[in-house]
Amino acid sequence: MLDFAIYCLTIIAVWSVLGLSLNIQFGLTGLVNFGQVLPFGLGAYAAALAAQAGLPWPAGAALGLVVAVAVSLLVLLPARRLSQDYWALITLGAGELFRLTALNAPSLGGADGLTVPRFADPHLALGAALALMAVAWLMSHRIAHSPFGRLLKVLREDEVLAATLGRNPVAYQRTVSIIAWAMAAAGGVLYAHIVGYVSPSSFTVTETFIVWTALILGGPGNNLGVVVGAAAVQLLSVSSRFVASWIDLPADVLANGRLALFGLVLVLMFLFRPQGLVPEKKEVRDAQRR
Amino acid sequence: MKNFLSLAFCSALALAAVQGPARAADPIQIGVIANLTGSAVKTSVQMTRGVELAADAINAAGGIDGRPVKLIVEDSENRAQEALNAANKLYNVDKVPAAIMFGGSGLMIPVAELAKEKGRVLVNTSSSSPKLGNYPGTLFSILPLDDIVGKELGLLISDSGAKTAAIVVPNSTFGLGVAEAAAAAFEAKGGKIVKKVAFTEGQPDYRADIQPVVPAKPDVIITAGYGDDSRAMLKAARELGLTAKWYAAYPSILELENKGFVEGKLFGVDNGGYAQPAGKAVADKYGAKFNGTADLMAHVYYGYDALMVIAAAIKKAGSAEPAAIAKALPEVVSSYDGATGKIVWDARGQRVSPPIDVIEYKGGDFVTTATRN
Repeated sequence: MLDFAIYCLTIIAVWSVLGLSLNIQFGLTGLVNFGQVLPFGLGAYAAALAAQAGLPWPAGAALGLVVAVAVSLLVLLPARRLSQDYWALITLGAGELFRLTALNAPSLGGADGLTVPRFADPHLALGAALALMAVAWLMSHRIAHSPFGRLLKVLREDEVLAATLGRNPVAYQRTVSIIAWAMAAAGGVLYAHIVGYVSPSSFTVTETFIVWTALILGGPGNNLGVVVGAAAVQLLSVSSRFVASWIDLPADVLANGRLALFGLVLVLMFLFRPQGLVPEKKEVRDAQRR
Repeated sequence: MKNFLSLAFCSALALAAVQGPARAADPIQIGVIANLTGSAVKTSVQMTRGVELAADAINAAGGIDGRPVKLIVEDSENRAQEALNAANKLYNVDKVPAAIMFGGSGLMIPVAELAKEKGRVLVNTSSSSPKLGNYPGTLFSILPLDDIVGKELGLLISDSGAKTAAIVVPNSTFGLGVAEAAAAAFEAKGGKIVKKVAFTEGQPDYRADIQPVVPAKPDVIITAGYGDDSRAMLKAARELGLTAKWYAAYPSILELENKGFVEGKLFGVDNGGYAQPAGKAVADKYGAKFNGTADLMAHVYYGYDALMVIAAAIKKAGSAEPAAIAKALPEVVSSYDGATGKIVWDARGQRVSPPIDVIEYKGGDFVTTATRN
């Protein structure tokens, strides 16, 4: 049971990093990234490719961060001239492009995937995941409570208003993307070393929407909310397995019932607590007072 | 409140009873991981039913040394992350010594990594990636490697007198594995591959993918696949007016879109002794439990054999410890005559040289016309 708890915590921590990254983009800045799995996958594949080439893990981590930042700038090129609705489409497409490329390029392992050295000790994996989550949390916290973060919120509410304040929205969006994508890529590097294997089937659109579910469930714009949301998604998924084992029904009926229950809980949450489990606090500041 | 208290007391008692020391009649728990939701559900459900049939048979015969088998079935949602969640629950919480899994290599390999770390057994009934050979002593395959079935398919095509062939397969480990082996065997016999198409799975329509095959005018088309993808693939071929004969690995797992289109034109090789007595017996049990054999697919036999060899290994080892099972498994399969025929493993626990059935689709049904090995 303890091993299972350690594993669950590790996964929650990794998913929280992804959630925190998405929170900087969507919760703070209002960027609808439907390709959140892309930087995650880039990080994981960089770790795998570096390992295949016989390089130590820091090389893979560095490669992952660099590639994710470069790709974020590339994806931003068409996005910057479009409104944020199109941002969703472009990122969604970019994520799928990556997955299909990995599937069809034999040098990236193709459908067979790539093997990555695993953490020998699950405790070490948990420690690394928690450490990364702490770093991501601190970064998010610093950003959210800085003048930069406040301007991101202005950008989220009204881009034109931000522009009238003499700020260039595109420049801000670029900075946010670089930070957030690097964060998600770091999560991907770690995930690859935890699981020990990467393949295109691990980086589908579904994973992106799991992160979104965690973010919306927990409360966008709030770091604690994101972590609570990630924990809720993982624990709901896992605990429903135990509930299912107490009910004597055919396995396929139970499996579908489990997913239906999961969906029902989410729908009820969004109906009765749309602001999320831990909603964003409204900040009131008096500009006159120092 | 009083009721509640007595209820709580009784539950505590029940829990204490459950967590008592292991006894001879305690059930042996075996895990099952399958895509019960998501995609490729039908095949997974079939495999799970096969395992259930085996469990029924073992328990009806008094269990393994008096201990009944208890299955714990977990859904993988066809996602690697959920497969890992399921495997972690099975290995860490339920403490199963062995799990039977249905899923692609993208799901199977992460679970194999975990099983290796935990020192448990994983029996593969669905994936044929060559990477699975990297887990000797941990992962054992009931499904044969693709290259064996693919090679037999290539030989069958050259025997049919065809000179040219096109390949139309899904871009997966399975599709490409079959295609490469079949093409190699066919070309070694003087055949010529005129076109190669590997389509990305999960699309509603494959006309754009299959169009280039039409001008190549192949004698036959080498294929492999299952589920909705195979239905969409055959539909596209029919609409494009392709008249070539189809040669498939495991033709019975294809979903036929139009029976008239493939009547007398679909051939293939299936590994199996499904038509042999052991396989027939399983089909009868299936029919009795699940209201007829109309939806029976080959995966039932693989699931059945997977649990049967685990049970035989536990019996031989006299222990349900994972290490004992892993050691006994290769010893018991050599004498096991299963629903999928004789099982021969190489040193890595991967299945080689299965019995091969030559299959033809005629009269609206798959007919075994010859057997090899």
